[in-house]
Amino acid sequence: MEKRKRSWAEPYKMKMVELLKMTTLAQRKKALQEAGYNTFLIHSDDVYIDLLTDSGTSAMSDRQWAGMMLGDEAYAGSRNFFHLEKVVQEVYGYSYLVPTHQGRGAENILSRILIRKGDIIPGNMYFTTTRLHQELAGGKFEDIIIDEAHDPENEFPFKGNVDLSKLEKLINKYGAARIPYVSIATSVNMAGGQPISMANLKELRAFTKKHKIRIIHDMTRVAENAFFIQQKEKGYDKKSIREIVREINSYTDGATMSAKKDALVNIGGFLAVNDWDIFEEARNMVVVYEGLHTYGGLAGRDMEAMAIGIEESVSKDHIKARVGQVLYLGNKMLNYGIPIVKPIGGHGVFVNAKKFLPHIPQENFPAQALAAELYLDAGVRTMERGIVSAGRKPNGENYFPKLELVRFTIPRRVYTQAHMDVIAESAAIVYDRRKKIKGLKMVYEPKYLRFFQAKFEKLQ
Amino acid sequence: MHTIIEPFRIKSIEPIYFNTALERKSVLEKAFYNPFLIHSNDVIIDLLTDSGTSAMSSNQWAGIMNGDESYAGSPSFFRFKETVQGITGMPFIIPTHQGRAAERILFEMIGGPGKFFISNTLFDTTRANIEFSGATGIDLICEEGKHPSIPAPFKGNMDVKALTQTIKEKGAENIPLIILTITNNSGGGQPVSMQNIQAVHKVCKQFQIPLFLDACRFAENAWFIKMREEGYADKTIPEIVHELFSYADGCTMSAKKDAFANIGGFLAMHSESLALQCRNLLIITEGFPTYGGLAGRDLEAISIGLKEVMEENYLQYRVRSIEYLTEKLVAAGVPVMRPGGGHAVYLDAKEFLPHIPIDQYPGQALTCALYEEGGIRSVEIGSLMFGKYDSGGKLIPATLELVRLAIPRRVYTQSHIDYVAEVVIDVFKKRNQIHGLEILEEAPALRHFTVKLKPITV
Repeated sequence: MEKRKRSWAEPYKMKMVELLKMTTLAQRKKALQEAGYNTFLIHSDDVYIDLLTDSGTSAMSDRQWAGMMLGDEAYAGSRNFFHLEKVVQEVYGYSYLVPTHQGRGAENILSRILIRKGDIIPGNMYFTTTRLHQELAGGKFEDIIIDEAHDPENEFPFKGNVDLSKLEKLINKYGAARIPYVSIATSVNMAGGQPISMANLKELRAFTKKHKIRIIHDMTRVAENAFFIQQKEKGYDKKSIREIVREINSYTDGATMSAKKDALVNIGGFLAVNDWDIFEEARNMVVVYEGLHTYGGLAGRDMEAMAIGIEESVSKDHIKARVGQVLYLGNKMLNYGIPIVKPIGGHGVFVNAKKFLPHIPQENFPAQALAAELYLDAGVRTMERGIVSAGRKPNGENYFPKLELVRFTIPRRVYTQAHMDVIAESAAIVYDRRKKIKGLKMVYEPKYLRFFQAKFEKLQ
Repeated sequence: MHTIIEPFRIKSIEPIYFNTALERKSVLEKAFYNPFLIHSNDVIIDLLTDSGTSAMSSNQWAGIMNGDESYAGSPSFFRFKETVQGITGMPFIIPTHQGRAAERILFEMIGGPGKFFISNTLFDTTRANIEFSGATGIDLICEEGKHPSIPAPFKGNMDVKALTQTIKEKGAENIPLIILTITNNSGGGQPVSMQNIQAVHKVCKQFQIPLFLDACRFAENAWFIKMREEGYADKTIPEIVHELFSYADGCTMSAKKDAFANIGGFLAMHSESLALQCRNLLIITEGFPTYGGLAGRDLEAISIGLKEVMEENYLQYRVRSIEYLTEKLVAAGVPVMRPGGGHAVYLDAKEFLPHIPIDQYPGQALTCALYEEGGIRSVEIGSLMFGKYDSGGKLIPATLELVRLAIPRRVYTQSHIDYVAEVVIDVFKKRNQIHGLEILEEAPALRHFTVKLKPITV
C-alpha cells in the first residue's frame, strides 16, 4: 500500500484573535509614499501580514496571560522577579540575573561594563544594535564568522560557526588583553537565522580559555539554534531542547537576552552572568538606565510572562512547530524559484535581493526597494537587511555588506498556514515582474541605526 | 459633610501575606536594614512608592487586551500620542520605558560638564541623571518649603528671586534648562502654584532658557491649585492642566504615577530639532520611536489612565485620603510635613528621632522601625538618598530628613490606612529605643537602592 501523507499541525489552538484590516492597492501606494519607502514607517493599521520582525510580536499563551494577572508590581523585591530568576537559573544555567526593559538595555549595560576604549570585540557577524553599543563604548567589532555565512547559496548546515583562524589572527594582531570578550550569537540573525554548531562552540571555548577571553552569548534565539543542533548535529538527536540549551550556555560566561524573541513576550530582556563582580557592577548601573535591579524597567506582570514563556520556548512541540512553519514558507518560495538564503533559517526566510534584482546596484538599495514592492503587492510588510541596515563606519564611510537581504520574519504562534500561502504567492507575483522594479535614493538619513527612520524616493 | 468615599469599587484583589514581628526582625537583618532589599512577600502594607504600584481600572485592563504589538506604527502609539498632545499641547511626543529613561535621554543630549540645571527640587533619579552627564543640579526651593511643620499652601514653589540671582551668577548660557517638579516629591509632595509657574516662566523667557516640567504628578498639582489658589475654584481640571503646560517648553513624565500605569513614561516638547536628537538617542537604548521600549498594551493603558486621573471625584478622594492619614498622625503629636502632600505623608525624622545624629541616618532608622513594628515599608528621603561626602569623607547632609509613606493609587482601603496610623503612633511612643545606622557598603550613584547598613548599638 502506498504510504499516506500525515500532516502535523500546531500544538495549540487559538484563544483570542486580533482582527486584520484589508487594504486596496491605491491605499497601499499612498501609505508607502508617506512612509518614504521605509517599511518601518508604515502604520501597522495599513499592513495585512506583518513580517517586519519576530521581536515582541508573539502571541502569548493563556498561561502567560494568567501570569500577567499575577503581576506583583512592588517596586522592590517583587515575587515575579524571584520566579524569573529561578527560571533563568534552571533553564539557561546562568547564575546572576539583571532584568532590563528589552535586549538593547542589556547590551548597553554590558558594553559599558566590559569594553574600554580601543578594545576589539570579535563576533559571529554583526547585529545592528549590538555593534552600535560596542562602538559607543569605544570598541571595534571584528567579524569572525566562517566565509560560508556570507554566501547565500552555500548550504552548509552551521553557517553561524566561528572561523577560529580569524580569531587567532586578531589575537596575534591586537593581543588577548585588548579583547574583553567574544560576542557569540546563536541563530545568527544577519546571516539569515543560521545556527552555530555545538562542536564549533566547544572548540571556541577551549581556544578562548587558553587566552583567558570571555564568551558573551547573544541568546535571543537560543532555542531555535538548539533545534537545528538536535536535527542536524551528530550525537544530539536523542537530547532534549532543554538539555541542548543548557549545554550551549555552559560554554559561555554570560548573556544578553531580548526575551521578545524566543521567550514569547511582547516586552522584556535581561543580562545574565556567572561572574559576581560583573553582576555587582551591572546591578548598580541598571538603576540609572533601566530601573531598580528587581524590576529593571519592566512591570512585574511582564517578568511573570517571561518566566512562563522561557519554559514554553524549550518545549519540543513548540519549537518543532515554530521552525517547521518557517521551513514551510521557505520551501514554498524555493518551489517558485525565488532566490532565498540557504539553508532556511529558524526565524524567517531571507530573500537574496542581489539575485532577485540584479539590475539594481547596491548603492541604490535593492533590498529596500524589494521590501517596498512586496508591501505594495499584497500588504505584506518585510524588512531590509542589507546596506541600509549596515549603516556607516565610525569614520563615516558606508559599510557594503556582502549580504543584501529582505527578511520575512515570522512572528511566533500568530499566523496560519493560509497566511504563509498568501505570502509565498505574493512574493512569486513580485518575482514575475522583477525587471520593472526600480532602485531608490536616500533623502533622509538619521545619525544612528538609520534603517529605522531613513526616507527614500523612487529613482526614475 | 459626608465622608468622601472611593469613586470606584474593587474588581480584582491581590492577597496580603502576614508575618510576625519576630520574622520581620530577621527579614530586616537579611535585607541589611534597607527596605529596597526586602522581598515584597514579606511586606504587609507597601508604601515604598506610588510609582508603578497603582491599581489599573477595568478600562485600562481592556486597553491592555487591545494593545497592538506591531514593532512599528502601532495604532496604540497613535492613540497614546494624541492623548498626550491633547493634555500637554506639545506636538512632539516620545515614549520611553519609564520616566528616568526620558530624563536620561534629555540630559545626555543637553547636559555635560560645566552645565547647571536649576529646579525647585530635583528628584533622586533626575539628579543622578544630571550628575551622570557631568552637569550640576541646583535646588532653589522657597523658604516655606524648608520647614516641615509650618503649613503653607504652595510649599513646592521655587524661590524666584534666588533663581534670577543664580542665573546671573552662573550665566544663562550655562543653564540648558529650568525644571519645575510638580508636585515637588522630595520636598514633601507639595504643590507649585500657577502664579509661581508663571513667574518662573517669565524669568526663563527673559534669559531665554527653556522651562521643562517634571510632570509625573501633574493632576494632583492641578487639584491643589483648584482648591487653594485664588481664581481657580471654578475652573475644570483639564483647563488648569492645560494652562499649567502652556508655560512649559517641554516635560518629562513617569506614567507610573498620575497615569495609573505599572510601567511607562514619555518626553514631550515643542522643539522639533530637540525631538529629532532625542529620538536618535531613544533608538539606541530604548526602542523604535513608536514604542520606545514599551509593549503596545502599555501605551493603551497610559492613554486611558491619563484621562481617568483628571476626574474631580478621583482627585478629591486621592488628596483627602492623604489628609486623613496626616490628620490622624498630627492628632497623636507625630511630627509630619504639613499640610499633607498629594501622594504621600512625610514624617519629619529629625524631630521624630532627635537623639540620632544625622550621620547615623535617622530617616533610615525610622523606616526600619516601621517595618519591624507593623510590616510597613516606607522610604527615607534624606541624607541617605541625597547626602554627599566632602573631600575629607565627612557627610554633607540633605536639607530635610524625611520618611515618605507613599500611598499607591486606588490600592489600599481606609482600614489599611487606619492600621498604618496605629503602627506609626506605636513606634512614636517607643521612639527612644530606636538606634542609628552605619553604612557597610554603598554604590557610587543612587546608593539608597542597594546600600547595606547595620544598627549602631552601644
